[in-house]
Amino acid sequence: MRSDASAADPTPVLRLDHRPATLGNWLGGLWRFRGVLIALARKDFQVRYKRATLGVLWSVALPLLQSIVLVFIFSRVGGFGSGHSFSYAGFVLAGMVPWVFVSTSIIASTTSIVDASGLTDKVWFPRAILALVPPCANLLLLATATAILLVELPLVGVTPNVRLLLLVPAAALAVLFASSVGLVLAALYVYFRDLKFMVAAVILVWLYVTPIVYPASALGSAGRWLDLNPLTGIVGLFQTAAVGAPGPSARAVVVSLGSTAVLMVAAAAIHRRYDRLFVDLL
Amino acid sequence: MTDPGTTHTAWNPTAAPAIKLDRVSKRYWKIEERSLLRSLTPFGGPNRRLLWAIQNVDLEVATGETVGIIGRNGAGKTTLLRMLAGVSQPTEGSLTIRGRIAPLLSVGVGFHPEMTGRENVVVNGLLLGLTKSQVKARFDEIVAFAGLGDFVDTPVKFYSSGMFMRLGFSVAVNVDPDVLLVDEVLAVGDVAFQLRCLNRMRDLQRSGTTILFVSHALHAVHLLCPRTILLEQGRVAFDGPTESAIAHFHRLLQSDDESYDAGVRILHQELLRADGTPAGNVEQGQPLTYSMSVRFDRPIDGPGVNFRVVGEDGTLAYSMQTVIGERWRAYQAGDEATVRVAFRPRLGGGGSFHVSVDVTDRLTTVLATAPNGPAFYVPPLYGVGGPADLEASIAIDGENRTDFRWARLEDVAPSAQAPQGSPPQGRQ
Repeated sequence: MRSDASAADPTPVLRLDHRPATLGNWLGGLWRFRGVLIALARKDFQVRYKRATLGVLWSVALPLLQSIVLVFIFSRVGGFGSGHSFSYAGFVLAGMVPWVFVSTSIIASTTSIVDASGLTDKVWFPRAILALVPPCANLLLLATATAILLVELPLVGVTPNVRLLLLVPAAALAVLFASSVGLVLAALYVYFRDLKFMVAAVILVWLYVTPIVYPASALGSAGRWLDLNPLTGIVGLFQTAAVGAPGPSARAVVVSLGSTAVLMVAAAAIHRRYDRLFVDLL
Repeated sequence: MTDPGTTHTAWNPTAAPAIKLDRVSKRYWKIEERSLLRSLTPFGGPNRRLLWAIQNVDLEVATGETVGIIGRNGAGKTTLLRMLAGVSQPTEGSLTIRGRIAPLLSVGVGFHPEMTGRENVVVNGLLLGLTKSQVKARFDEIVAFAGLGDFVDTPVKFYSSGMFMRLGFSVAVNVDPDVLLVDEVLAVGDVAFQLRCLNRMRDLQRSGTTILFVSHALHAVHLLCPRTILLEQGRVAFDGPTESAIAHFHRLLQSDDESYDAGVRILHQELLRADGTPAGNVEQGQPLTYSMSVRFDRPIDGPGVNFRVVGEDGTLAYSMQTVIGERWRAYQAGDEATVRVAFRPRLGGGGSFHVSVDVTDRLTTVLATAPNGPAFYVPPLYGVGGPADLEASIAIDGENRTDFRWARLEDVAPSAQAPQGSPPQGRQ
């Protein structure tokens, strides 16, 4: 399957047969329709907070409230709060930033292709664009949450220092991870509609098997199993950057990077094959 | 068809075809119930069913050609158009389309309900392959054609179906597509807009745009398309002149009258002269009334009628139809209706003709058809050939040399718009 335009002939030519798109064509399509991605992401963001006076602040206020509740419960009841070389409250607040970004992006991406059936059955553009809309729209949310985190840190007694620069690669990794998970799940959801509920269930549990509200060291030797969770590395980088918590193990970071890479490759393979077949099931 | 004033390639049959399909087939898995558990079962369990929506379709459409696609519901028209739009991929075979494609499938180009008309125009322009500045340059024209007025900054979810449809059509025709794919656009919108759509499509036709036109509105297909493809069960049942394609379609609908029950029955037809006697041999221009009684076995909201006069060899001499799209009256099951068509057969060279009618629903889907209605014979107008009477006059060096003994037309049809007394003077 090819769809390209040579330099000599400006007329675009669409060729379709049963074969999947080549990698170059698929990526070329994503690039060609980047304007659509930006427009849809901007709209997605606007629509979400359109009528609310406080707008985007809600998207940050709710996770903040959740963090405060968690800090309270886990430090008073669970006893995680004391005995650390870093601010426990800052640790939780920092961990919640990538968590909220990744979890909300994944949930929205999963249903993105199916939800857009009114658009997809009429005009072609790479369906992957749709799955990339939620992580893109959430970029502003991630930036706002990070900015608020920087304001909160002095309040919980953390002096910001140069470690904070680590937030940049950490955020990049969070975006790539959420995007690749979203691309794969969005494609699978077209075929398995149970997936929406399975994702909701996984997200529910995922928060507690990721060292967000407790440091991995609190679990003793069992804590190293958490390294298999790809979010451990991402969340750990945020926490290290913010409050100087002991960094995530190299293994955890490798798992994060590796799973992102594997998911990217899988996403490309699935979308190249099924890009123009999704519509048959919508 | 050549129009040097436009930037488009004019119709040129020797150029590479705009659309080429090579043994294209499309298969769907019809699955009644889809769940993770079942799809993990080997062979997918018992309720998977193969459905070949399109089978072995070969098709070539030259650049600048307009081709109609007709067929019953489920014949594969929409599947075919979806593949041409690049939205869906063929299971077998290959297809090639040259040029920018503007698909207009069902209603609208595909709108985001939360976006305003303005935002949707921009996104749709991008989706159809324009750059942002190109969209901006065309924006006013698009909005004006759609007649949106103040609604341009309202989210399209608040639009009426007519506005929705108008905007969709407007975007698609104003992006200067090389290939326009149109599926049932005339089904929505008021009559004025339908006319504007038809006119706009004719403009595009003239400027060399390749058009594929899917419609149940056979008269519109006849109006726009010299060539038409009849699809039946995913295959090309006929490909050729539109009149013959429509005739084939009617034969098809008739042949399985038993299985095809749309709930409308034509009970009785007759063709009478003004004095109430049956028409057989009639004069040119003589007022005739065709009447038909119809029974509805199910509720029909806003039925319509297509009326045609067809020559002996199947050529269409004339057609007229009722207004499309309006719910002008709701008929209940068991109701009967009488249709009367008053007309004057002014049929040039004369000959044997017969009436052919369809009863349609509001959106021109044919519910019942009587392709071989009452017949009549008209003698030729003296000197005139062909089915039409164009009232031509021929002058040589200012001297009217027309052989106009056709004037006897006035004897029987005084109200016909022909000059009285000595006719030729007024028509040089």
